[in-house]
Amino acid sequence: MTDRDDIPPPDGGDDALAAEYVLGLLGADEARRFEDRLSHEPDLRAAYARWAGHFAALTDDIAPVEPPAHLRRRILGIAPRAPVWRRGWAWAAGVAAVALLVWINFGAPVMRDDGPELLAEIAAEDRALVLSAAYDADSAELVLDRQSGQAAPGRVLELWLIAGDAAPVSLGVLPDDPRAQIAVPQALRDGLAEGAILAVSDEPPGGSPTGQPTGAVLAVGAITSS
Amino acid sequence: MTDRNHIEALIARTALGDRPAFGALYDATSAKLFGVLLRVLNNRDAAEDALQEVFEKIWRNAGRYQVNGLSPMTWLITIARNHAIDRLRRQRATDPLDAVPEPADTAPGPEAQAIARSEAGRLAACFDELEADHADAVRRAYLGGETYAELAARFAVPLNTMRTRLRRSLMKLKDCLTR
Repeated sequence: MTDRDDIPPPDGGDDALAAEYVLGLLGADEARRFEDRLSHEPDLRAAYARWAGHFAALTDDIAPVEPPAHLRRRILGIAPRAPVWRRGWAWAAGVAAVALLVWINFGAPVMRDDGPELLAEIAAEDRALVLSAAYDADSAELVLDRQSGQAAPGRVLELWLIAGDAAPVSLGVLPDDPRAQIAVPQALRDGLAEGAILAVSDEPPGGSPTGQPTGAVLAVGAITSS
Repeated sequence: MTDRNHIEALIARTALGDRPAFGALYDATSAKLFGVLLRVLNNRDAAEDALQEVFEKIWRNAGRYQVNGLSPMTWLITIARNHAIDRLRRQRATDPLDAVPEPADTAPGPEAQAIARSEAGRLAACFDELEADHADAVRRAYLGGETYAELAARFAVPLNTMRTRLRRSLMKLKDCLTR
């Protein structure tokens, strides 16, 4: 289909293009160009989302079929390879140097000789929200610096710790101030270790009512040791 | 169907690596997604493999869910459908004799036409306003993974003509859906 890419699309413009993309009718090059535009053209993204919703409705008359039970075990067995870790690691690798610079500028927690420092950059993939975190084991405080982004109007940001395979545990709602010190309760201190994940979610005022994240996960990062 | 906010919350927790939430998401959505995979792939073994791959993708990509603005079920169905279409096309590429099998019943069943509410009802009504061939072509693209080249061959028109006409029908569909 790439041989069709030189043909300018006839009428219908971007909206028809979005429909063609959802239907999988674009050639590889054209599809890639469309995807590049999606990331920075909100109108195109909206058109894409509308068509995706319309065409997904073509499956409404497809009856659900219970998959065999052994499949459930096999599929849920993939989960322990915690993907957030891997994502976190990839980001962490890329931002380790940046995190260190931030650390120096920010200065607040004094560098110590005893034991490794624990750092994390908690970031959205598009970097719309970025926080750096440093854990001061002596005071058991997590020092946060929000470098970009903020809570949506009428919403709050809540910080979560995910240690190993455990469910997320709230470290509390972040204050409006970009800099914050959060006391880590005794029970959670051991969980704050290299490889654990810090995440920020969008929550109603006062934080998640359920004790688990209820809104979108806006930013994630893995803890690394300096 | 399980309520939208509930599915959304499960996706959010899955993004945080929360395995019980991932299990609950599987329980709430796997039968629907398996139905879609069976319809597109028309083969039980292939659909079982695909279901596993689809949930691996969901597990890995749950954190990106919010970015594209889809509703949670649309997002999940789109992942399953796209995955199944990729599989179908790979299979056709390696086994040309198998090219474009007649998809299992792409026409809407009577129950679909009976749905007067919801997106599906509206969509079915608007499909009825299209030329029958074009409505069929859209279904064949979405549920059968057929390309413009394949559709052009099926309806015996030049590829450019196929594209121009189908785009016109898509715009008609849009006008109808936004009325």
